Amino acid sequence: MINVNDLHKSFKAKTGTVHAVQGVSFTAHDGEITGLLGPNGAGKTTCLRMLYTLMSPDSGSISIDGFSTETHSYEVRTRLGVLPDARGVYKRLTARENIAYFGRLHGMSDQLINERTERLVAALNMEEFIDRQCEGFSQGQRTKTAIARALIHDPKNVILDEPTNGLDVMTTRGLREFLLQLKAEGRCVIFSSHIMQEVAALCDRIVVIAHGKVMANGTPDEIRAQTGEANLEEAFVKVIGSEEGLHA
Amino acid sequence: MNALITVMRKELLDIFRDKKTLYLSLFMGPILFPLLILGMGKLATNRISTQVEKPLELPVIGAENAPNLVNYLAGRNVVIKPAPKNPEGEIAAQNVDVILSIPDTYAKHWLKSEPAEITILHDSSRDDARIPVERLSTLLENYSRSTGALRLLSRGVSPTANLPVRIDHKDLATPESRIGQALAFLPYLLILTGFLGGAALVIDATAGERERQSLEPLLATPAGRGLIMSGKISAAASFGMLGLLLTLLSFKLSFMLAPGLGIKLSMSWLQVTQLLIVLVPIVLIGTCLLTAIAAGAKSVKEAQSYMSMLMMLPILPTIVLMVNPMKNQLWQFAVPFLAQNQMILKVVRSETILPMEWLVYLACGFGLGALLWFIAARRYHDEKLAISA
Repeated sequence: MINVNDLHKSFKAKTGTVHAVQGVSFTAHDGEITGLLGPNGAGKTTCLRMLYTLMSPDSGSISIDGFSTETHSYEVRTRLGVLPDARGVYKRLTARENIAYFGRLHGMSDQLINERTERLVAALNMEEFIDRQCEGFSQGQRTKTAIARALIHDPKNVILDEPTNGLDVMTTRGLREFLLQLKAEGRCVIFSSHIMQEVAALCDRIVVIAHGKVMANGTPDEIRAQTGEANLEEAFVKVIGSEEGLHA
Repeated sequence: MNALITVMRKELLDIFRDKKTLYLSLFMGPILFPLLILGMGKLATNRISTQVEKPLELPVIGAENAPNLVNYLAGRNVVIKPAPKNPEGEIAAQNVDVILSIPDTYAKHWLKSEPAEITILHDSSRDDARIPVERLSTLLENYSRSTGALRLLSRGVSPTANLPVRIDHKDLATPESRIGQALAFLPYLLILTGFLGGAALVIDATAGERERQSLEPLLATPAGRGLIMSGKISAAASFGMLGLLLTLLSFKLSFMLAPGLGIKLSMSWLQVTQLLIVLVPIVLIGTCLLTAIAAGAKSVKEAQSYMSMLMMLPILPTIVLMVNPMKNQLWQFAVPFLAQNQMILKVVRSETILPMEWLVYLACGFGLGALLWFIAARRYHDEKLAISA
């Protein structure tokens, strides 16, 4: 379970201070998929980076399974599987070596790494390229490798930053099924997206973010009721205040 | 600690699969440096022996004024040439190295047993004319002295009366210290190899890893940033040491082949080991400094633009010592680059290194390395480190 409470974060830029995240709060439960929906530049990635302790918030608090990111960053990172916005793989290593490298950094034994790798290879359909060096991988193959290495240690909480970015229709469908499988295994899944249809199709709970603030938070039904719109797409437009960036 | 070894193994595997970078950074030095040193040594000995042994071509102005002197020279490996029309111009144009001028008054002075004046025309700023000029001066002095001795004898005076002081030189240079002279560039090449040998790996593993967007997922693992960084530094340092070992072995091998080239050089296994120990601190200093730079640089390109400046650093003490030779003093073993330079020279010249010198050297070298490691670690903990673009 992931608990986010009143997060603030600002950056110094040449043009002045950018207040990227302004008081974001939400809770993501185990066995549910929580979607962070918002236009490009809404502050989703910054929020997630604070969740996996890459950045620390200016104020506010985050707890993962009860551990605070500020005081227990090691425990937090062992309980998280992260697919960041940046998903570079080591191109001179094979997909299997990429995955095993992260397994070892999580302190896993070689035997355990092999077992988990086989499971993930089957679940993500990676048989074809698992032993190839990553040089020249397609976007889909790279993303699958990055997801597999993020989940090698069997984490209870999974954070995926725009996982379907740049993927074709078939790969996206496969990935959706994989996310539902993670949910069925009782994990707490958070994923961010700027594609409304995707969030609507997958999520049990939706957090709509725009301009660094939470504009709406709840199940799809709650959001429909909140806005008085029967159609989810119309509801989003009403919440965000524009149609900007909501379509792929 | 496991994370450190995991990162180190992965970085080494990564660079060993990158064949081009591997060959360039591991084998360029070992192939080029011995060629450079032996080639330069060969050129120098060649030039000296040909200039000393081959007949000296000497244009003489007024040769008819001193036929005996000219015959004396011609009998001592000198080929007498007619004088050019414009002697000063020929010297300036570097067509001839040296010209002898004998004035009309020579015979008159000679017959009166007065000093007969002759003039050597040359350009002292020309390095390659030095040996011909010295050869001619020596011949002329010998002629003058033997004629003087004959004149004294004919007047019933012992020729040694004219030699109140005889100067002898006793050269205390050992064969090893002469090797040191021949190897003025060896310290620079070794320090440079140690200092920047791990550069390709360090820049690729820090700035490159961020540019390829794989640093962010790496930092999201439970492995601490300090350990990840230390793993990368360890990989680069061992890679740098491997490069040094190959360079030293190639020197040893080429010195074994060198006698065929007329150069006497040698390097024992003890010296190879000592040199490796001497160079450990500079490898550490180099990789930590580059890590700190690469962690702060926005891109690989920016990190690489520091390289040309860093290549200048190790040559500074070599230049300072060439211009202003100094005696060994303890403080020198505390100054980076200068200390390495002095230690390498001592090892190569087979001089004893005092325990105190070892202590100061290693303490200061590792101390600076640890300080740079700390600075690099601070920069690795910067929030901006992982975020590219």
